[in-house]
Amino acid sequence: MALSSGARTNGSGGATVAQRLQKELMDIMMKPTPGITAFPDDENMSRWTATIDGPSSTPYENLVFKLSMEFGPTYPYAPPTVLFKTPIYHPNVDFSGRICLDILKDKWSAVYNIGTVLLSLQSLLGEPNNSSPLNGQAADLWDKDMDEFKRLVLARHKTPEELDAADL
Amino acid sequence: MATPVMAGGFQAFGHVPAHSHYHESPLAFGPPHLPFRPSELASARYQHPPAGHFHYNQTTSMADAPFLTPEEEFAQLQKLSNEYEPEVTGPLVGDRQSSSAIATEYANADPIYRVKTQALPSKYAFFRTCRGDGHCGWRAIAFGYFEALLHVGDVAKFDVEEARLISMNNLLNLAGFSEDVYIDFAEEAYDLLRKLGGSLQVGNGASLLLEAFNDMGVSMAIITYVKLLASAWIQSRAEEYQNYLQIDVKSYCSQNIEAAVCEIDDIAVAALSEALVKPAGIGLEILYLDRSVGDEVNAHAISQPMNFNGLLPMIRLLYRPGHYDILYRAEDLPAPQQQATIHVALAYNNNHNFEEASPDANLLSMIPGMYSHNRFQTVDQSFGHRWPPATYDFDPTPAPQPHITPIQPYAPPPPAPVAPVSVAHQDFMSPVHASPISHQSPASHHSLQLEQQPMQLPFHPHPPPPLSIDRAPITVERGGPFRPSMYELEPGFGTGEVTPFQTNIFRNSHFNTCHFMNPSFQPEEWSPHEYRTGNKGRHKSASQ
Repeated sequence: MALSSGARTNGSGGATVAQRLQKELMDIMMKPTPGITAFPDDENMSRWTATIDGPSSTPYENLVFKLSMEFGPTYPYAPPTVLFKTPIYHPNVDFSGRICLDILKDKWSAVYNIGTVLLSLQSLLGEPNNSSPLNGQAADLWDKDMDEFKRLVLARHKTPEELDAADL
Repeated sequence: MATPVMAGGFQAFGHVPAHSHYHESPLAFGPPHLPFRPSELASARYQHPPAGHFHYNQTTSMADAPFLTPEEEFAQLQKLSNEYEPEVTGPLVGDRQSSSAIATEYANADPIYRVKTQALPSKYAFFRTCRGDGHCGWRAIAFGYFEALLHVGDVAKFDVEEARLISMNNLLNLAGFSEDVYIDFAEEAYDLLRKLGGSLQVGNGASLLLEAFNDMGVSMAIITYVKLLASAWIQSRAEEYQNYLQIDVKSYCSQNIEAAVCEIDDIAVAALSEALVKPAGIGLEILYLDRSVGDEVNAHAISQPMNFNGLLPMIRLLYRPGHYDILYRAEDLPAPQQQATIHVALAYNNNHNFEEASPDANLLSMIPGMYSHNRFQTVDQSFGHRWPPATYDFDPTPAPQPHITPIQPYAPPPPAPVAPVSVAHQDFMSPVHASPISHQSPASHHSLQLEQQPMQLPFHPHPPPPLSIDRAPITVERGGPFRPSMYELEPGFGTGEVTPFQTNIFRNSHFNTCHFMNPSFQPEEWSPHEYRTGNKGRHKSASQ
């Protein structure tokens, strides 16, 4: 609420966001985190494509998930918009890829960055928050029938190659 | 942000009201509460329903539930009303203005507010708005910190503060913040310290500061930085602060301090005071304006200022439920030499640009008596949106008068209890004039006119910055209505050459008969003869 109306006062805002994202890109390139990638879509830097590997010993093990990240002019004082591009069956992600995660909403802090967001999402895969699900069936099955849950995860999953082929 | 933390005994804040996260417009508290505010109904989110049927705008969350019972309808509207946040407007940090504006704002509000706000200007003469965007408390304290340092006006102090802040990186590291992440925010604070330290020579610190805090990028970085300091401070003293918290310190910090949009609460105020304000020797006081019983705002001292050669730098915050602004006592402000940056002040206030139109107008407006003519012209202009006509007490048109050396001639050898005041002080005061309703303006305007020869003014070269200005310690109360005046130090003081009671503080107080609030109000009159002779001697000594 706050930042949207304030953005106009800062003519240099766009440059600052780009600088910050440049720096994050440098960090990611210099110190890559295993299981996580992120790269800007174009020179504009405001849209990125990221991937996270499903954590081991979870239903998402050995799966790779593609995400889109979009950074507004008030980043890092407002969270980026993050969506799963890979179809995913998960209690806190809906079928359009929208994610329910507090740090991407009201718990966002300016100290978070692309790396911490992706790590949080990775851990969300293994530890869903079943008390406020976007996908009620998934939350239910997670507790009751893990085998069925795994089946549905795999049924829904597409590899990055399949996604590219489908031009998504 | 509601405070879940008021439980077991944070004594210092015992009767502080819980923050309601509902915002900004004080009028929301004043008039009787409507279930929904009119602006809500007018907003695009809701369209007037044809009788009996309720069609919601597609953008509402209820778009998929077009038919509702009246109760549901009411609940839905109430929900929208609760969630309603007025669009925040105004500068991130406003110009300093007379706090009588607050009284005007509450003129039609609840009687308790009316009484309290009417009592406000006599004690706290000025205030500054902070935009109510959910960061105002953080912003107010951060701004006050830099402003108080400017007030102290010591270049070395800025260096010391920069070094101290840099040393606090250890604290941030200890709290688990990565230097990569916080250094960008911290650098903005260091930069501003450096800039302001450098500005002491030039004397434009006040405008630099205002500019910095009105730049969204700089201002948000500094706010984020001070939030991290507060968080790290609390985490480094977890056992102590845990007593005031109902949740564990780590989650408290991440939810109530580090979160990008969260208003400061009492714990965080205390922590930030300990981490940032108090070690710098700055005092912090919060004045609570609420519906509690009493005739004036309730003051809470959070930290006490140190004495810097007679200066007691203070941050005073005006708290209205959900919102902070900055308050000033008249004596918080440095010695009055406020004309130097009048152009800056005018730049914020384009209502008044007509005064700059012709030099003739400037000259005219310098003649006492003429300004009142101007006043009525600008009053009309400036009343446009914000200021109701009740504010008859001001002269909104201090003409730009850059070539002024009011104090310098009064520099005899400093007697004992005198504080050297650097150039920056002159500036510190300046934004007063940006305000269209500063009741200080008429008085300072007059004092100015008495102190210089108007016809020479446009050709007068810029004076060298005064190296030391003798100033009686104005923060010392002496009993009786009169405060020490710099004029006392002048040879010939009291011989009738100069009108005796001329400190700005006195001039602006209601003890001055020239002040509109004085029961025996008598406007100052201009006596050409006195004026010229009184001025000449001083002017000569200035040019030598």
